[in-house]
Amino acid sequence: MPIQDDINLYSKRRMLYTVIALVFLLYLGRLFQLQMIYSDEYGRKSEENSIRTIPKEPIRGYIYDRQGRIVVDNRPAFTVTIMPFEFDKRNINLLASILEVEPAYVQERMKKGEAYNRFVPVKVKRDIDFKILSALEEYRDKLPGVDYQIESKRFYTTPARASHILGYTKEITENQLKTFGEGYTQGDVAGATGLEAEYEGALRGQKGAEFSTVNVRGQVVGRFDNGKHDIPSVEGDDLLLAMDFSLQTLAESLFADRRGALIAIDPQDGGILAMISKPDYDLSLFSGVTPADIWRSFNTDEAKPLFNRATLTRYPPGSTFKMILAAAALEKKIVSPSWKVTCTGSFRMGSKVFKDEHVHGTVDMVEAITRSCNVYFYQLMLKVGLDTWSFYGSEFGFGKPTHVDIYEENPGLLPTTEWMNKRYGENGWTRGFLPSLGIGQGELGVTPLQMAVYTMVLGNKGHYYQPHAVKGIIHKATHDTVAVSVDKREIKLGAEAWRVIREGMRGVVEKPGGTGGLARVKGIESAGKTGTAQNPHGKSHAWYIGFAPFQNPRIAIVVMIENVGYGGSFAAPIAGMCIEHYLYGRLTRFDKDVLTKQPIAQGTARKNTNVANTSPNSGERTPVAHNSP
Amino acid sequence: MTSYFKEHIDYTLAVVALALVAIGLISIYSATYDAHVSDVATKQLFFATAGVLIMIVMTFLPFKLLQFISYPSYFLSILLLVSVLILGKTVSGSTSWFNLGAFRLQPSEFTKITTALALATYLSRTDVNIQRFNNLAVATGIVLLPIALIMMQPDTGTAMIYAGMFIPVLYWGGATKFTLLSVVAPVAAAVAALFGITPFFVTVIVMGVLIYLTKENRILAAVVFSAMVLVGISVQFIYEGLKPYQQKRIATFLDPGADPLGAGYNVLQSKVAIGSGGLIGKGYLHGSQTQLNFIPEQWTDFIFCVVGEEFGFIGAAVVLGLFITLLVRGVGLGSIVKNKYGSTLAIAITAIFAVHVFMNVGMSVGLLPVVGVPLPFLSYGGSALLTNMIMIGILLNLYSNRKEY
Repeated sequence: MPIQDDINLYSKRRMLYTVIALVFLLYLGRLFQLQMIYSDEYGRKSEENSIRTIPKEPIRGYIYDRQGRIVVDNRPAFTVTIMPFEFDKRNINLLASILEVEPAYVQERMKKGEAYNRFVPVKVKRDIDFKILSALEEYRDKLPGVDYQIESKRFYTTPARASHILGYTKEITENQLKTFGEGYTQGDVAGATGLEAEYEGALRGQKGAEFSTVNVRGQVVGRFDNGKHDIPSVEGDDLLLAMDFSLQTLAESLFADRRGALIAIDPQDGGILAMISKPDYDLSLFSGVTPADIWRSFNTDEAKPLFNRATLTRYPPGSTFKMILAAAALEKKIVSPSWKVTCTGSFRMGSKVFKDEHVHGTVDMVEAITRSCNVYFYQLMLKVGLDTWSFYGSEFGFGKPTHVDIYEENPGLLPTTEWMNKRYGENGWTRGFLPSLGIGQGELGVTPLQMAVYTMVLGNKGHYYQPHAVKGIIHKATHDTVAVSVDKREIKLGAEAWRVIREGMRGVVEKPGGTGGLARVKGIESAGKTGTAQNPHGKSHAWYIGFAPFQNPRIAIVVMIENVGYGGSFAAPIAGMCIEHYLYGRLTRFDKDVLTKQPIAQGTARKNTNVANTSPNSGERTPVAHNSP
Repeated sequence: MTSYFKEHIDYTLAVVALALVAIGLISIYSATYDAHVSDVATKQLFFATAGVLIMIVMTFLPFKLLQFISYPSYFLSILLLVSVLILGKTVSGSTSWFNLGAFRLQPSEFTKITTALALATYLSRTDVNIQRFNNLAVATGIVLLPIALIMMQPDTGTAMIYAGMFIPVLYWGGATKFTLLSVVAPVAAAVAALFGITPFFVTVIVMGVLIYLTKENRILAAVVFSAMVLVGISVQFIYEGLKPYQQKRIATFLDPGADPLGAGYNVLQSKVAIGSGGLIGKGYLHGSQTQLNFIPEQWTDFIFCVVGEEFGFIGAAVVLGLFITLLVRGVGLGSIVKNKYGSTLAIAITAIFAVHVFMNVGMSVGLLPVVGVPLPFLSYGGSALLTNMIMIGILLNLYSNRKEY
């Protein structure tokens, strides 16, 4: 047997050792690369592989009115979802036909979901009806990856619509998705308008998640780690409103099909009791999926039903604004309350003639307010001057936002010398512009909400409360109601100024010759002011502002009806009925024994079933002569 | 007595082998823990026990007897390979099993040993010189015969083991570089041709350069080069001429992971499993890739992922360390056994282990294409485990008798 010589053998052995060593070094290096350098990346991939996150939608908070009656509730709704990972794209047409949508739409939703995470279900259609649900069940085996989630949709329990103040929820937009950040994903619902939008943070709650482990075919094989890592969803907090929905219901019915706005506010804290913008719309149309044609009809309607007239529209206030001028004049001691003007039915200034509806004769300030004498205020405005008037307007909250808790508002327009100079140039305007402003016409714009705040301050003699629809937030976890903080400031007028202005307003309702007699409520002394604002769109806007009871008001109200005529004829009766209903708990004027009725505590009142059918002109009394513009 | 054992037993090798078997059982248990194939680990434990016994038997088998049974066992195993083609049971498209009651046997596993035995016996004959063409042809024939039979099953991975074993044995037996190349080049060209046109050209160029560098007789060199090109082209030609489903079947030979979810799925999941293990792993029975069966039949060819995922870099390095110890020990044994038969056999067996480990780990970490080759001792498979234990027994036997001529 030829023994290989040892040298040769050892060199061969070394060669084999080298080969072994090189291969193992290569493999060890590869392991180091995979397990030490890229281990995070592979770790993430392995998690994505095997852990599926199923989001759990939180229950949106409920909304209660001031009596604790639920006004916005939730109802279950089925939402169809697709898991991109499991869905077979060849089934797009089948699914689209079941859901009654375009295949391209399904494709688009699917793509977006896939780009986000193909292991997370993407919502394809919300709030499907029973027919679609049963069709889906029938085809379930043929549609892997298609499933549905139970979500909640809004359900409105009252006959009142309160569309603009409550607002609606809508599927989140791309922009909101960017700004809202974490906690929201494609297909989620978020508040879009009104309180739903303003209090989105409180109402929404927190999404939860369930983690499941899945096998290689994407089938769920069990809870991940026995559900130890699951995050329960947290219910949204509830809103407790300052609003009184029986008042809201009455007010809406009184408006019938007129356009305009109504706001009632509590002069003791600034809480909004009722808010109407007409025309309005049925919020339940928006609670599920809103068909495109409904959207289109709302958006193209020239009456703009989606627009909140109560906070967004700038109207000329007309005579209701006269108390600003009176306050400025009295406080700056420009005139005394007994200063008199003789009204001849018009006022001439140079070549311009400013008109009045009536010849009021010689009137002092109280009477000028009560009978709404324009000539008096034309002359007073020239004495007070633009900036003093504007200063007091601003004191009462005009020309700036009220910071109400309803999503959007218009700051209005309250001109100053500076503003006029900018608008017309320094020599482009004259004192001839002033008299109109004195009676609330001209370059002046107010929102009904600003008027409500102003009325509140007139009623409670100077306490300015930030207007707010939500009184408190009921925290789900603790069941504590946390009051919403409200800004407060004082508008300091002398006692004499308050007395004169309020006495003038009391006369509007209570005295013969007052312009707001139709707002009178039996058994309750109230005060107010009518306005009939000329505007370029047709007939005058009818205004009425008022508060009651006179001594310690519990309600301040503004009624504004577009293009109908006199405030005293059209707006004042509605205000009167609302005051009556709010303070008595029902409408008492149809009772046989009216005179024996006294104001009673709210909540104990008998139900009034006729409320919804009561028309604004159903008052039996003949209208008092129209005394004012 | 103690000194006898010290002298005759290679404890290092025995302990390494037993450690690898233990790690294998642990890993298989984990891989099948939640896969509804719970009897797999139990079966493997049975084979491990049987394997230890057979290893002991082989260790103490008289050396002469081992030599004596080499040829007969080779022919017997060839006979088995033929009959399995006729009578065998088809498992995942490949007919390589015998049903023996509850267990199935895979003759191609045992044929690895018998081929090594036959090759060692032939090459250790005094009248055989590997430099001579007819001797080389006979040696090649000994290896090609089982390769041909196994390719008919078909089982590409196992067939490649034989080729992988043959080359180190030739090298150890004194073949020149040119001889080695003339064996390697056609095989490499054929395999490369199946993987595609670019690998084929790269292989032809590399091999051509290597042949040129041996400075062998021009004519002989040209013959070998042409043979290589011819084999490669004919493989490609045959492949092109096949029907799509036949091509797909060949693709499946090359990629027996059968890729249920698209190209590269297994390798990707394997890399994810190993990579996500990090330094110390996710902990035993806590690897999500393993426990959720992201890799089909992971307990067979992809068992290394279990180690990588659940025991991390440290665990994987320990397993590699055990294998390197085994291989180094085997090569060392080849160099100290005085008997040429024993020396050749030691190298052949070590080469079989080496090719398995290189191919399997290379595949698991994504450096080599997916070819169905089990990881010795760790992968599930009774026949393979018994074969591996027999081979360890033979190595222990050779160590024990290393001083005999």
